[in-house]
Amino acid sequence: MKVLVAVKRVADANVKVRAKADGTDVDLNNVKMAINPFCEIAVEEAVRLKESGVAEEVVAVSIGDKSCQEQIRTSLALGADRGIQVETDANLQPLAIAKLLKAVIDRESPDLIILGKQSIDSDNNQTGQMLAALAGLAQGTFASEVVLEDGHARVTREVDGGLQTLNLKLPAVVTTDLRLNEPRYASLPNIMKAKKKPMDVLTPEELGVDVASKLTMVKVEPPAERSAGIIVESVEQLVDKLKNEAKVIS
Amino acid sequence: MGAELTDLDFIRRVRGICGQKNVLTGTADLEFFGSDRTRLATPAPLAVAFPGTTEQVVDLVRLAASAGRSVVPSGGRTGLSGGAMALRGELVIAMDRMNTIKAFDAINQSVVCQAGVVTAQLQAYARDRGLFYPVDFAASGSSQIGGNIATNAGGIRVIRYGMTRQWVSGVKLVTGGGDVLDLNRGLTKNNTGYDLRHLVVGSEGTLGIVVEATMQLTTSPPPSSVVCLALAKLDAVMEVSRAFKASSSLSAFEFFSEAAMKAVVASGETRPFDTIAPFYVLLELDADTESRVDAAFNCFERCVREAWVMDGVISQSGEQAARLWRLREGISEALAPLQPYKNDLSVTPSQVPVFLAEVEEVCRSHYPDFSLVWYGHIGDGNLHLNVLKPEQLTAAAFHERCNEANEKIYQIVQSLGGSVSAEHGVGLLKRGALARTSTPPELAILRHIKSAFDPSGIMNPGKIMPTIPDS
Ligand SMILES: Cc1cc2nc3c(=O)[nH]c(=O)nc-3n(C[C@H](O)[C@H](O)[C@H](O)COP(=O)(O)OP(=O)(O)OC[C@H]3O[C@@H](n4cnc5c(N)ncnc54)[C@H](O)[C@@H]3O)c2cc1C
Repeated sequence: MKVLVAVKRVADANVKVRAKADGTDVDLNNVKMAINPFCEIAVEEAVRLKESGVAEEVVAVSIGDKSCQEQIRTSLALGADRGIQVETDANLQPLAIAKLLKAVIDRESPDLIILGKQSIDSDNNQTGQMLAALAGLAQGTFASEVVLEDGHARVTREVDGGLQTLNLKLPAVVTTDLRLNEPRYASLPNIMKAKKKPMDVLTPEELGVDVASKLTMVKVEPPAERSAGIIVESVEQLVDKLKNEAKVIS
Repeated sequence: MGAELTDLDFIRRVRGICGQKNVLTGTADLEFFGSDRTRLATPAPLAVAFPGTTEQVVDLVRLAASAGRSVVPSGGRTGLSGGAMALRGELVIAMDRMNTIKAFDAINQSVVCQAGVVTAQLQAYARDRGLFYPVDFAASGSSQIGGNIATNAGGIRVIRYGMTRQWVSGVKLVTGGGDVLDLNRGLTKNNTGYDLRHLVVGSEGTLGIVVEATMQLTTSPPPSSVVCLALAKLDAVMEVSRAFKASSSLSAFEFFSEAAMKAVVASGETRPFDTIAPFYVLLELDADTESRVDAAFNCFERCVREAWVMDGVISQSGEQAARLWRLREGISEALAPLQPYKNDLSVTPSQVPVFLAEVEEVCRSHYPDFSLVWYGHIGDGNLHLNVLKPEQLTAAAFHERCNEANEKIYQIVQSLGGSVSAEHGVGLLKRGALARTSTPPELAILRHIKSAFDPSGIMNPGKIMPTIPDS
């Protein structure tokens, strides 16, 4: 069985990002970059499937300029067998990513495709769903547990107010939620071994996908500064302020 | 000296200065504010005052001097040498209320802050302005800038950024005589005789009370990664240090033994790898370019080839870096319930393996029942030696044996020209050992300096040096 995981290069979750002074974009200069945390969980899940003997091969795919090879290398160090970079400098929207991934799936025919439920930079939460639709595959989003048996994936989903369990016919698309697993560290010996693992580079042209964006980014600005709080003298005063100043209770 | 004041009269005058609600005398408050992290003995101050202004600090010190009462300055109370312990009816002056960052100068990259500003508060303030305050350690969420200055705190990034001293460009001090000294005033260059500011750094509250400081900030460091390595043997430490220093730009190089790893893991952290090794190192290195990262990987490969290193991991995200740091930073708190006997020793970095081996040998042959937990800022030659109490010994008997063992350990320190207190200061805990590495003429000069700042000897008496005998 073959598992394909998608990984995205994003600003590290611990970094406090700033808008560029001219408001054209987020300033990523001198910013630590990392695998999107949800993608990291996807890689971990795929590697665990391999370690438990359910999967034979794990392929990590990333789309972006050359720098995203770093995240593919990390995925290889974490246990993926081979990498594919779809190289493009274009600023891609989820639909373009989904189309590119669909084209990769057509070439690779994986039995399971695991993605993060969203990336922490743009928070779109669209790619997995679009990919499943484009490829005509079953989807299980926000997975907190994935069990594979008899050509099916049993996916437990975190939904409002509880858990939902789906039984998906393979091949299928699964997107990960935070509680699916805790990713391991990249061990240095494995990083060294990963250097010898193969990585193919494809282009959108080779895959026959038009990645032209239909969106224009108008402006990026930081959230408004919160005004300082005050310490009230009594519960009565608090209630009064909530009622008459903040008008949040009546 | 003015008229004798009764305790009650004295407290009334203190309240008159700071305001009724800013003076505490309840037993629990006296114990809490009269103590640091050592909890060496039962604290017994007379009162705790929380001044809000420099003028109030001056008035308190003058009142104490005229009434012949001692003063113990208290910061974040995270000290590990008993410097902030108040044991005999002193007035504790706690700086908690003076916690405002007063000014920021972008050109000088400096901040004027009151002494009670918490270290982490200054770090966050710098970060919000795209800058960096580099002094950092496990207690920085509670320790104060005044306390950091008074102890010349070091921490985890000394190999790149130095100790607190390096970041203090101005100090405002209320001396034991009640004068306000505004020292160095943020200047970079100021060769006007003895630099009194630097006497205040590390003075542990014995010269006066720091009320305000100008602290320097620096540009943010480049993105970094944290590496944790399993070392095959002790000698490998220095080889690994040398190899990584040559190949990478390091901002931290820390060390801990398997006993320390066991303790943090028992406290809830997870091992970074399955390999069990006698020693581990944790290093933080710049990872801003691919070639830098590759250099670190190649260095790792070499360390494995040389059989210095058995295993290792590298953080892939800030979250993982923080988790790896907790393995090192969690040790002190993880050991705390075991009430270890702590030593904070230093030699030059290259002497570390010899030093460590000699101490282990002495303990093995004379104190086979001791279990030793080593960790520390090994890149600075600074080792925290913690001895765990054997179960069958009472606390008192254990301390007695540790003091006895210390004689032998200090001899080793002395023979290597090292220090009996690397970064925690002398306080009460190490004053007996001071003469080991400071000569009688040096100690005499220390006493003269103290009396120049504090003529009536009211500032934190008995700390650093035993109280001056009446002669
Ligand atoms: C878990 C843990 C880890 C630690 N790690 C490190 C480390 O890596 N490196 C390191 O150097 N230290 C370390 N320490 C020790 C301690 O945190 C530092 O010594 C710190 O600088 C003390 O600051 P504080 O504000 O808590 O001072 P306190 O403990 O309140 O006081 C320390 C001394 O300074 C004096 N003092 C305090 N404020 C003033 C003032 N405003 N004016 C004059 N004198 C004053 C006190 O009288 C006392 O003598 C650690 C402590 C803990 C608990």
